Amino acid sequence: MRQLPSGVFASTYLQDAALIRTGKQWLALGVLLAAVALVPIVLGPRYANIGNNMFILAVVVTGLQLTLGYAGQVNLAQAAFMGVGAFTAASLANHWALPFIVILPAAGLAAALFGLLFGLAAVRIKGFYMALTTITAQFVFHFAVINLPASWFGAANGLKVPPAQLFGLSFSSDVGLYYLNGVVAAGMIAFALGIARSRFGRAFVAVRDDDVAAGMVGINVVQIKALAFMVGTFYAGVGGALWAYYIRFVGAEQFTLFNSIWMIAMLIVGGMGSIVGGLFGVVVIAGLQELVTSLGPQLAELAPELGGQIVFASMNVLLGLLIALFLILEPKGLMHRWQLIKFSLRIWPFPH
Amino acid sequence: MADLLNQVANGTLLGLLYALIALGFAVVYRASKVFNMAQGEFVVLGGFIVWWLASDLELPLIAVVPLALIGAGIVGFAIERTFFARMVGESAFSMVMVTIALLILIRGVILVAWGPEIRPFPIVFPLQPLVVGDVLVPRSLLYGGAISIATCLGLSWFFSRTRLGLALTAVSQDHQVALSLGISVRHAMMFAWVLGSVISAVGAIIYLSGKSLNFLASDIGFAALPVALLAGLESVAGLLIGGVLVGIAQALAQQYLDPVVGANVASLVPSLFILLVLFFRPTGLFGWKTIERV
Repeated sequence: MRQLPSGVFASTYLQDAALIRTGKQWLALGVLLAAVALVPIVLGPRYANIGNNMFILAVVVTGLQLTLGYAGQVNLAQAAFMGVGAFTAASLANHWALPFIVILPAAGLAAALFGLLFGLAAVRIKGFYMALTTITAQFVFHFAVINLPASWFGAANGLKVPPAQLFGLSFSSDVGLYYLNGVVAAGMIAFALGIARSRFGRAFVAVRDDDVAAGMVGINVVQIKALAFMVGTFYAGVGGALWAYYIRFVGAEQFTLFNSIWMIAMLIVGGMGSIVGGLFGVVVIAGLQELVTSLGPQLAELAPELGGQIVFASMNVLLGLLIALFLILEPKGLMHRWQLIKFSLRIWPFPH
Repeated sequence: MADLLNQVANGTLLGLLYALIALGFAVVYRASKVFNMAQGEFVVLGGFIVWWLASDLELPLIAVVPLALIGAGIVGFAIERTFFARMVGESAFSMVMVTIALLILIRGVILVAWGPEIRPFPIVFPLQPLVVGDVLVPRSLLYGGAISIATCLGLSWFFSRTRLGLALTAVSQDHQVALSLGISVRHAMMFAWVLGSVISAVGAIIYLSGKSLNFLASDIGFAALPVALLAGLESVAGLLIGGVLVGIAQALAQQYLDPVVGANVASLVPSLFILLVLFFRPTGLFGWKTIERV
C-alpha cells in the first residue's frame, strides 16, 4: 500500500519490486543512516547508550509488529521471549564460550521454539483468550529461570555475560556496541521489510483480516499463525541476546509483563501494521522515557516524599495518558499521520 | 488427613476470593465485551480508597465500607465517561488496549498520590481464625466466600432474569443489534464499569483485610485471570466453580508438590491449568460457544 509520487514508473520488473524507488528515497535513507552513524561521535557516549536501548527495542518491537501488527496474533509476553533469548545467550556464552555470531541466531531460535509452544495455542484459540494464554508464557519464563538449577540460568542471581567478540574485535564500550547493535538492528529491520512484502507477509495480513477467508483462498492458516509467532519471537530472542551483550548481565526481573505492555504501547503510538511505524513508536516512547528520566531530579524536587519513585510514577501517568489519547484520537498511530502529511505535501497546493 | 481437609477448605475459600475478583472481569466483559486488563489496579485503587478513608480521615469502619464502595463507583463512572464512552463502536481490540493504558495510568496515579510504601490495611474482619475440628480458616476469607457466593448468584440471576440484566447481555453480544433494539449501549457500559469497580473494591476489602497494602497488591488481578478464563468470561455463576477448582488445585499443589519439587510450583498451577483447559475447551467450562475456531 505504498503511495508513490506521480511520475514514478517502473520499466523493469526489478525496478517494480525494489523497496526504494526514487533517488530522493535513496538520499533520505543515506542521510538517515549517516545521521545515525554520527550520533556517538557528535553527541557522545550518553546518546550512544540511548541509541543502544532503541536499537535493541527496535528489533524486539519489529518482531512484535510482525506477530501483532501484521498477523494479528496478540502477544502480551514479548518481553518474556526476549528474556528467553537473553538467558540462552548468557548461558551459551558462559558454558560453551560460543562466538557472538553463533549465539545471536541460537538465542533467536531458542525464543522461537518457546514461542512456537504458545503459537500452537493460537491454532485452537482466538482473540483475547489467546492474548491471555500468552501471559502464561510470562509466568512460565519467570518461574523457569528462578527455579531451574543455578548452573543453567543463574537462578535468582542472574548471569554475567562476557563482552561480544566479532572478527577479532571486542565490543565492550557503549560506542562500539552502538555500531554493532545498529548493524544488527538495520539487518533485522531490512529482513522484516522483506518478510512483510513476501508471500508470508501477505498471508499474515490475510489471516489477520479474516482467517476463514484466508483459509478459503488456500492459505494454510495453522501454519501461518504458528509461523507468525515463531518469527516474532525469533526477533525477540535476537533482541534479548543483544540486550545480554549490552547490559552484560541478565536477570529475570529485567523482563516483566510491564515491559511487554510498553512494547505494545510503542506499536500503538507508532502504528500497527507498518514496520516503520513500529520504529516511530520506539523512538517516541523510548525518547520520552529518557526525557522523564533525565528530568528526574527536577521532578523529585516537586514531590520530595516520593524520592526516586517519582520518575517511574510520572512516566506511568504520562505513558498511560499518551496511549489512551492515541487510541481515542489517532488509533492508526503516528505512521498514519505521517503518511497524511506526506500526501498533502505532495499534492500541495491542492487539497485533493 | 487433617492437612488435606485444611488445604481443601482454605483452597476453596481462596478460590471464592479469586472468583469475586474474576467477577469484576466478567461483569465488564458481559456488558461491553471489553476485557479489563486493569482489573488488578481497580482492586488496589479500591484498597487505597478504603485505607485513605479509614487511616487518613479516621472514619469509623461502619462508614468507611459504604463510602469506599460509593467512591469506587464514582471512579468507575469517571473512567467510563472519560475513556470508554468515546469508544462505542470501536473494535474490542482498541478498547482492551485502552484498559492496558489504564493499567499503566492507574498505577502511576496511585504511586504519585500515595507512594510506594507498604501500609497496614484496616482490619475489617476479625483476625482470629475460625476453628472447626482440625480445620482452621481465616475469617476474612470465610465471610468473603459467603459474600462472593451471594454476589455471584445474585448477579447471575440479575443477568438472566431482570430486564436491565438482559439488556446488558444483549449489549455484550452485539452493540449494533442492541442499539437497534432500543437498548442504550452507553448506559449499559456505564453500569458495567460502575459495577465492576464496586465489586473490585469489595474484593479489595476481603483480600486485604488485616494485611498490608501497596501498589503491588494488583497481582491478584492476574492471579484471578485463570479463574475467569476457566469459567468462560460470560458465565457469572460458573466463576464460583472455576474459582473453587483453581483454589483447590493451587492449595493441593502447595501442600504436596512444592516439597517434592523444592520450588513454588503452586504459583504456576493456575496458569498451567488454564492452558490445558483452553487447549481442549477454548470457551472455558461455561462460556458461550461463540469463539470462532479455525
